[in-house]
Amino acid sequence: MTEMKTAITLGNASLKKKLNAIEGPFAYEETAYHLPVAYALTGRPVHTAQEAIEVYNLTNENPFVACESVLAFSEQGPGREPAPYTGFIGDAVLRKLGYSLVDGSILGLALVIGTPGNSDTASRICRELQEKYMLTFLAGDVVPSLSSASVKLGLEYRLIPLGSTSIHGVHFVDIITRVALMFGGVVPGDPGRLLAYANQRAKAIAIVFPGLDNEGIALVDALRLLGIPIISLGGYEGGEWTTTLPQDAVREGMERKGIKVTVTAIPIPMSCSPAFEGKSIRKEEMYVEFGGGRSPAFELLRVKPASEVTDGLIRVMGPEIESVKEGSAVPLGIIVDVAGKSMRKDFEPVLERRIHNFVNYGEGSWHVAQRDLIWVRISKDAVKNGIKIEHIGKLIATKFRIDFPDLLDAVQVTMVTDLQAVLAGKKEAEGIYEERDRRIQGMKDTDVDLFYSCTLCQTFAPNHVCIITPERPALCGAISWLDGKIAYEISPSGANQPVEKGVVIDRDKGEFEGVNRFVKKASHGEVERCSLYSIMEYPMTCCGCFECIALMLPEVNGIMVVNREYKGDTPSGMSFSTLAGTIGGGAQTPGFAGISKNYILSDRFLQDEGGIERLVWLPSLVKEELKERLVKKLNELGHPDLFEKIADETKATTLEELVAFLDEVQHPALAMKPLL
Amino acid sequence: MAENSPDLGGKIGYVVLGATKAEDGTRSVSYRLGGESDLPFIGMKTSLGSIPLVAFEICDDPSYWSPIVTSYTGDLVSDTPEWATAAEQQYGADLVRLYLTSTKRRGFDDFPSITKVTEEVLSGTGLPLVVEGSNEPAIDSEIFQRCGEAGQGERLLLGTAEAGRYRSVAAAAMAYNHSVVAQSPIDINLAKQLNILLREIGVKADHIMIDPYTGSLGYGFEYSYSVMERIRYAALKGDTDLAMPMIASAMDSLSVKEVREADPVIRDDIAVAWEFYAALSSAVAGASIVCVRHPKTVPLLKLAFRELWAGKKPGEF
Repeated sequence: MTEMKTAITLGNASLKKKLNAIEGPFAYEETAYHLPVAYALTGRPVHTAQEAIEVYNLTNENPFVACESVLAFSEQGPGREPAPYTGFIGDAVLRKLGYSLVDGSILGLALVIGTPGNSDTASRICRELQEKYMLTFLAGDVVPSLSSASVKLGLEYRLIPLGSTSIHGVHFVDIITRVALMFGGVVPGDPGRLLAYANQRAKAIAIVFPGLDNEGIALVDALRLLGIPIISLGGYEGGEWTTTLPQDAVREGMERKGIKVTVTAIPIPMSCSPAFEGKSIRKEEMYVEFGGGRSPAFELLRVKPASEVTDGLIRVMGPEIESVKEGSAVPLGIIVDVAGKSMRKDFEPVLERRIHNFVNYGEGSWHVAQRDLIWVRISKDAVKNGIKIEHIGKLIATKFRIDFPDLLDAVQVTMVTDLQAVLAGKKEAEGIYEERDRRIQGMKDTDVDLFYSCTLCQTFAPNHVCIITPERPALCGAISWLDGKIAYEISPSGANQPVEKGVVIDRDKGEFEGVNRFVKKASHGEVERCSLYSIMEYPMTCCGCFECIALMLPEVNGIMVVNREYKGDTPSGMSFSTLAGTIGGGAQTPGFAGISKNYILSDRFLQDEGGIERLVWLPSLVKEELKERLVKKLNELGHPDLFEKIADETKATTLEELVAFLDEVQHPALAMKPLL
Repeated sequence: MAENSPDLGGKIGYVVLGATKAEDGTRSVSYRLGGESDLPFIGMKTSLGSIPLVAFEICDDPSYWSPIVTSYTGDLVSDTPEWATAAEQQYGADLVRLYLTSTKRRGFDDFPSITKVTEEVLSGTGLPLVVEGSNEPAIDSEIFQRCGEAGQGERLLLGTAEAGRYRSVAAAAMAYNHSVVAQSPIDINLAKQLNILLREIGVKADHIMIDPYTGSLGYGFEYSYSVMERIRYAALKGDTDLAMPMIASAMDSLSVKEVREADPVIRDDIAVAWEFYAALSSAVAGASIVCVRHPKTVPLLKLAFRELWAGKKPGEF
């Protein structure tokens, strides 16, 4: 065991001694950056021993400066180490490496250093780094160790032997430094920007075998300042390096630095594409089915700690496809366990809904409904081509990794086909579904500081901005507050942006300073104010996708709602399509608003106009669809009889009929404060 | 909108294309684009904007080019550098835009040819160069690195970055100090999103030109016109993510039915008309560079711009 603190002190002292021993002029070849670290930190081009010592002192005896000065001095001309060692890498090659980093063909940089106990471990680690698209630099004893195991070294193998001693590891730092100068807009002499770049943008890790000499320890430990995670394989005591087992080193380092391997292909014997999403598998084409009332089935996505999820692990509990009779119905539980640093429990239901799309992407797999209502089929053709139940799990796991690269680090899928296990799992899942429903239902606008915007529809309604709150889903009904939040986290520059509520301007109307500010900007200056809970003054703009239109009927002092599916006349004298043409296109039309069906059930619905008591007309189709929840809600509000007082097309399709009906039932809107 | 326009407040940023000897390159001219504070011909007379430039488009494999152009031009099209020379000396273009159509060939892997043709075209013309690199995502990395390297020091304009495919072209621009064509499908928000993505990867705003995608006349041009206007107004109202000069190429002009099926006797005239009106309208919508493929369109556009922009020189307001 090497005691770190002492080693670092001794290492730095020894570097200082070596630095003091150099003399005369010297320089690296093929670079415009002089001694890159010294130049980046201080802006001073170092070309003599005298200047090197001055910069060393200026940088509080920075070990990188010492190492690069010593190497630039000792490796001039004939001092350069023979192949395979590369020594200092010139700017032209570096520009290409930087290109590959930006362009994504290299995911990150790794330094492997120290003395491997056996070359198998070292070569395994290097192979893993190669497989994960890392460009690996080697310094010191690790190079002969790899050579002895016949590992091929060189730029073309993405394994670069920098030099024979541990301090050659400083070339790793001069590379990161020059990438920052060339690509990161870092200016020489601005150490703050350099450190910020290294910490935030440079995707670099270090893996350290035991047996590093003191100078190497001082050098490697200084990498921490650059935000480079140092993964030790043991042998060092004290200090702040992370110790792991060799088989975990690469994963641990990459995870700590947030370097993700992107997955692009789905390794199963079936084509997968959104193009197949619309196809169905009819009974005669089906080999096996699950759920749909024919057998118990459910799907569940859970977030788990990283230690409990093995990325890519697919298990089948119960019979596989070969022991299933053609044409039969089999129980199924799809359990997707995911882990990710920014993954949260709130996201579970949103991600779970994606299982539906993913299974449908398969040419021979089909999925409908959700939760414990799912119905899944696999086609005969697919089974003939070798598709197994396991592959459906593989498809789900891989698609999650492809579609959510920043959110998810690991996805494992368990496909349960054993009846008892499915029944037990289903029971547990149902408890989780209920808990989720309670959580989302319970969420109030007052519980959050951020709403989310949606500007997807600006393609055709250029100045339209949807503001999505926990109690007011997007007017299309397709995006809830949680969906907006996740969409933002997945694609931070996309169409859903966080909107700070800011100071409340009018609590009843739902007007907020932050929302107004955002809407003004996002509507390109066209819309100055936006009331979230009122349709009378500054209502939200409408694109064209609204599920329903709410509009005032001043003659009855109430508000009617009509849905897109309703084709007939309404008491307003206009059909849905006429109304839609009047209010759409991103305009703000006082007295009219595009809304989602679920918003009718929200406490915020028409809040400023007096709430749901204002609702005088609603087509029977929506009334029926919402009946259970609407009646419950009206009971809670103390209006058990209101449901029957809300007219539909069977009661009134003209204003006259509506007036008569409302008078007859004594609708509360008639006695409310005048709308106008 | 028009009466407000003098007070919009914002200004389009600058992009420099080409580098002369004095700027450590070999071009005979360099252009500084941008700087507008209004749309042309709207609002105050003084804010006409800079006179638009005309880019002549050529390619390195004419089998993928419009037969109207190849039959009008003849053998010249099989000598890419000579073609570039003609664009400058005979047709009078302001820039040359080189499409590496050879990369469309199935299984293309002759990467050294990319370096060669880029260098040869740079020798063939002293004009600043736009290079349209790879046509196949799988070889983007190989192609753009070579385009970038071959044009090092010349401040090329490299294309084309799209939302799902911008890393290689951005990397080449950053590594070798070129600018990027950022193309979005006629959508102001996607244009903005792409510019943000480019910024996040490290491309500076003064190295980006917006290509809003230009439909040809009768085939969607009005959408392009409208989106260009909106991009420009958003920028002038202060949206810096959209405050870049624009490039427009109604490249489908030569393949629309009316041109393709025109009477052979007047086909060239019809082709030129189709290109000319789309390009002219793009310039009026605010494009700094308009691109055409028929040699006869270039002098017509140059004449129109000279008249409309009252004889101003590039970069002059």
